Amino acid sequence: MIEFKEFSFRYREGEAPVVRDIALSIPDGCFVGITGAAGSGKSTLTYAINGIIPHCYPGDFYGSVTVEGLDTVEASLTDISRVVGSVCQDIDSQMVSTVVEDEILYGLENFAVPKDEIPARVDEALAAMGIVDLRDRTIDSLSGGQKQKVAVASVIALQPRVLVLDEPTAELDPASSVAVFDLLARYAREHGTTVVVVEQKIALLSDYADMLVIVDGGCIRFADTPDAVLAHSDELLALGVNVPRATTLMNALGAQGLYGGPTVRNVAGAAAALKEVLA
Amino acid sequence: MIEFKNVSASYDGELAVLRDVSFTVNDGDFVAFVGTNGAGKSTTMRLVNGLLKPTAGEVLVDGVPTTALKTSELARRIGFLFQNPDRQICCNTVREELLFGFKALGEEGPAAEERVDAIIERFGFDADAEPYLLNRGTRQLLALASIIVLAPPTIILDEPTTGLDFRECVKVMDVVRELNEGGTTVIMVCHDMEVVGDFARRVIAMTDGRVVTDGATFDVLRDGRVLKEAHILPPQVTEVSMILGRDEGCAASIAQADTVPQMVAAIAQELQLEGRAAAEAAALANDVAAALSAETVASAATVVEAKAMPGDAGADGEGGR
Repeated sequence: MIEFKEFSFRYREGEAPVVRDIALSIPDGCFVGITGAAGSGKSTLTYAINGIIPHCYPGDFYGSVTVEGLDTVEASLTDISRVVGSVCQDIDSQMVSTVVEDEILYGLENFAVPKDEIPARVDEALAAMGIVDLRDRTIDSLSGGQKQKVAVASVIALQPRVLVLDEPTAELDPASSVAVFDLLARYAREHGTTVVVVEQKIALLSDYADMLVIVDGGCIRFADTPDAVLAHSDELLALGVNVPRATTLMNALGAQGLYGGPTVRNVAGAAAALKEVLA
Repeated sequence: MIEFKNVSASYDGELAVLRDVSFTVNDGDFVAFVGTNGAGKSTTMRLVNGLLKPTAGEVLVDGVPTTALKTSELARRIGFLFQNPDRQICCNTVREELLFGFKALGEEGPAAEERVDAIIERFGFDADAEPYLLNRGTRQLLALASIIVLAPPTIILDEPTTGLDFRECVKVMDVVRELNEGGTTVIMVCHDMEVVGDFARRVIAMTDGRVVTDGATFDVLRDGRVLKEAHILPPQVTEVSMILGRDEGCAASIAQADTVPQMVAAIAQELQLEGRAAAEAAALANDVAAALSAETVASAATVVEAKAMPGDAGADGEGGR
């Protein structure tokens, strides 16, 4: 369980809090997508989960954030990182090794995982991300999508109970983005891992997330199922949040009295709904 | 004009990352290159601006091979926007950043200052702001502004909307559209098919270092063979209309709709044909089009006009749902 209670934070250099009065409970095993306009505070929420706030970025911290029972202010960054695995937006800044296998070994060795457990952990992580064939490749020779999978593999090898990813598909093509989310969702389901993803691609998020969190001006505007959130497509667009065109289409038809069914969030849903409308 | 004539390229001299690629981009075009990561799109762009030389074939810019052009000459003809603005921005203030290109080309002076002032005003920048303290969207706009201030006849945009939120994306792409309307040739690498569908007039799809197809945007994005071969998905409304179009008896206006207003107008019209009063349905379609997007009103209205012809079967108010 991740729990934000009346959480507000102002960076030391900032004039005003970047997030305010955040109250949010994320149950174990939940796949959460956080989105919002640039500067809305979504990355700050992830920093509060993985302890970067306040341990690396000091400032005024109000309220509390607990992750699997750890208070992220009181717990050390090392203790938090044993529970929370993080994947940065800029993958290149996360890579520390030159070869894929070494990249995965790095975290395991730093966490002093017993030697006899390490080979199996590496094998499982590579298999979970579908990159067994990349084991001996140099990082430099990988495509953006492959690097992304290596970064996720290096984190899940540590078997964190919570995974935090900041725009993991920003540089990926649509097929690779879906592949990363597929692998991530399957891994999380099989291991009961809680996943928190910051992502601009709301169409992708809404297909995988159990909960969508929309952040605006440092406050949570919506925190609900994708269907419930996407029902507010006009408001989302006004907030600078993109909405799947399939959703915009069906909501527009609904506003004109031409569709009265449930919220649609993808192409398959829109096609099925329209077939009924036209039947 | 940019011409690729049977171009092949390699980074290490052995593995070909581009194979026998040929195409022509005419002055004033707005072309999007689409395809998966590693398809050869960015390599193609590097060949255009001379960062990479072909191992076979020729790349011609305005009829001159890039191998015969100095980097500065290419820079005057082609502006290049990197995917990540932080790899482009290098100065301490917005003003210095905008002047940097003129300095690099040895073209400092009052004329340059004047153009920088004009672009600062046009984009609403704070001239003294520190670029790295700006948000991502503004940094992307600054990177774009630092290119267009030099007024190159062609701009290359490598994933111009990556990492931007919806509003920032619209802001950046509106500037690009305006440039193209003013005559600038735009070549864009883009994974976001909604952006491609909204802005590009022509699409070149690539896979495995070769061109799969080259054609009008929605001709390409509706071609099942191309979509499969290049591993790309069409924009969502196009995909919906393609699915509906497989059904026997689906109206052509629905099967061919590529935008939300077009589809809403087509659905409204289809329901009208089944019984709604003609005036009511036409008004409805126009209302929806106006409310949704000024940009596509014309296309939506065209659909309505084409379909709401007097005497259409079923326009007598019978059989409404």
